[in-house]
Amino acid sequence: MSDLEAYRAKAAAWCESVAPTFGKAARKGLSVEEDLALGRRYQKAKFDAGFAGINWPTDLGGQGLGHIEKITFEAEEMKHGFPNVYFGISLGMPVPVLMQFGSDRDFVKERVLKALQGEEIWCQLFSEPSGGTDLAGLRTRAETDGNGWKINGQKVWTSWAQYSDYGVIVVRTDPTVAKHKGLTYFWVDMKAPGVTVRPIKLAGGDSHVNEVFFDDVKISDDHRMSPVGGGFSVALATLMIERYVATDSAGFGPHLDLFVDLAKDLMINGRPAIEDGRIRQQIARNYAMRSGLDSINVRARLMMQAGMTPGPEGSLNKLVAVRSRQKLSELAIDLQGVGGFHFDEHASPKDDWASSWINAPTGRIAGGSDETLLNTIAERILGLPQDHRPDKGVPFNQIPA
Amino acid sequence: MSILHDEGQQAIATESRRILEARVHKDDLLPLLQTSGRYHEAFWATAKEQGWTALALPEAHGGLALGLVELGLIAHQAGRTLSGAPFLTSNFGAAKAIELYGSDDQKQRWLPGLASGDVIGAVAIASGPDALPAHPKVTLTNDRLDGVKDGVSGALHADVAIVFANGPGMPVLALVDLAKVEKTAIDSFDNSRCLADLHFADTPAETLVSGSAARAAALHILALQAVITAHEQTGGAEALMEIARDYAVTRKAFGQPIGAFQSIKHRIAELYGLVELARANCIHAASREGQSDFVTAAAAARLSATEAYDTAARDCVQIHGGIGVTWEIGLHLHMRRARTLALEQGSSLFWEDILVDRLAGEAA
Repeated sequence: MSDLEAYRAKAAAWCESVAPTFGKAARKGLSVEEDLALGRRYQKAKFDAGFAGINWPTDLGGQGLGHIEKITFEAEEMKHGFPNVYFGISLGMPVPVLMQFGSDRDFVKERVLKALQGEEIWCQLFSEPSGGTDLAGLRTRAETDGNGWKINGQKVWTSWAQYSDYGVIVVRTDPTVAKHKGLTYFWVDMKAPGVTVRPIKLAGGDSHVNEVFFDDVKISDDHRMSPVGGGFSVALATLMIERYVATDSAGFGPHLDLFVDLAKDLMINGRPAIEDGRIRQQIARNYAMRSGLDSINVRARLMMQAGMTPGPEGSLNKLVAVRSRQKLSELAIDLQGVGGFHFDEHASPKDDWASSWINAPTGRIAGGSDETLLNTIAERILGLPQDHRPDKGVPFNQIPA
Repeated sequence: MSILHDEGQQAIATESRRILEARVHKDDLLPLLQTSGRYHEAFWATAKEQGWTALALPEAHGGLALGLVELGLIAHQAGRTLSGAPFLTSNFGAAKAIELYGSDDQKQRWLPGLASGDVIGAVAIASGPDALPAHPKVTLTNDRLDGVKDGVSGALHADVAIVFANGPGMPVLALVDLAKVEKTAIDSFDNSRCLADLHFADTPAETLVSGSAARAAALHILALQAVITAHEQTGGAEALMEIARDYAVTRKAFGQPIGAFQSIKHRIAELYGLVELARANCIHAASREGQSDFVTAAAAARLSATEAYDTAARDCVQIHGGIGVTWEIGLHLHMRRARTLALEQGSSLFWEDILVDRLAGEAA
């Protein structure tokens, strides 16, 4: 058995051992608050077992291993439906950025340890009402205030802000220069006076995203994590940290075998749906697509193991998988006819077709919309030109609103 | 489990690409469309000279004992350059059938010639719309074949064929010397494939496998060939994606490269996705030869490669506008090849059924 296989076995065994306490069955019927409390205990257990911060430095409480061990653990973890979603953003981006760019190292270490043990949660305050994809067009501003700064404005789509202790934020500190050049990166205390968090209920019924308002929120200059005017590159670095995450060719929706089971159980015109050519074609097409992604991901893992950088084709994962999930979910509902009307707001998108369907649009928008991903593939991988950008090089305060 | 290519395999890919790009030119391929029965001899000579014909055959019979992975890499490059002559796949399929199901005598008689490329093999399993017919129209009685096998790729120049036929109460896979068999050339949209109908009339044939095992054997040969063809399709799709990209960054309209318009750039980015999914499925399928999920992996490779090549042919021409439909630019060579390869070794309809039967646990 290779070292990695041994690691996988160890990870699998641990996940199995805690599944009765933290797994899908244990979470059934819990309120969000109860589930979060369970999640904090799960995160602590994970830390104690040596599976938190797997690829983080040991002097900050991590395990000092590689990306490959991290995604190996995540692939095992994913099988059990543990309550880890509250920490996904926190440990995925803001805390690693704090490790990289935080100036007060004692403060950094204390925060990292608390975050790894589920005691504290961080959020990422990037998107605004005026735009998400056009990050550099943000309007929340920070003005100098004595030796520190004063923040005014609004962020939106901030995941888990209502449970967050801290956040990282990009704000405009100079509106007189081109939009990318007038941004600065800070961390903020989410409990500070002037910070207001309002949850947004999404179409599927859950409220994990928020609006966050900043009214004269005062912070000292030691909260700054970039040079003044140098915030955009730290923001980009934040988005690059999570390149190596466990993927799911089912787009975090139901796996294809569930669709096959459904098609075997239900009848169309008196015959099993699995015998219907339209259904068969969709099963075959989706299988081919998903098996292609699986092969891309296996090869990416092999490359990481061999110390190489995986190819850019990994960028197809979200684009291809979530579109596939969305359409297949529609078809699964179609298959059930009037029996497909039932809806349970608390069902899991991973095994319930209606839940998968109604939550699928989020997957095609959050973390880079389909259109943005296509632009990225076209420009970064294929060398096609950028879109026409009328605001390029124009001082921010002269861009027509 | 998929694989990473080792250094030797990467060298095969690089070297075959270099050679084919130097030796295969569109201007040599265009005239082949307008005649019947000619193939691109320069390609076949190269395949023989480079040992590609011997690549995946056993050493004991003149082969190089490599496998689907290596032959797939060659086929990918052949697809990129529209390399004519269908025999790279059909020789391999015929030779594998003899290697796997033939007697020692049959192996000694045919394999060395197929490995050197001096003998040309064809595989005739389909019948009209059926890639693997339940009741083949060609019959085998007392070791004699009768009937017509239609649309057999490469058959016009083939010396030997593997034929799926209706034997006495059961299907058989038979080996046939084509020396005295009548061949009718098919005037096709892709004439260098040398397609022909084979007319058997009291033709001597040797049974390789019979009964339900014959059907399984025929499917296995189809799957092996399908993986090679899928590589060829993926290569063609990749070349078209690059041609489209190159055109989109140079051709200007409304004061900017047309590739700056999202309707164009997203179309090309979508092609990238189709090509990479097909490539990944091909690499995976080639690595599964001999495993229980081989046919499933072959079907996935085949489906995604057919979709990639057809879509790339459609979109690349569309992105070019008027110039794309001219004879001279030759994009129609890819359109034609995409459709030809979509039919050889069974269409998407066939592979969808094969795949779903397996996924639903209903495989015969």
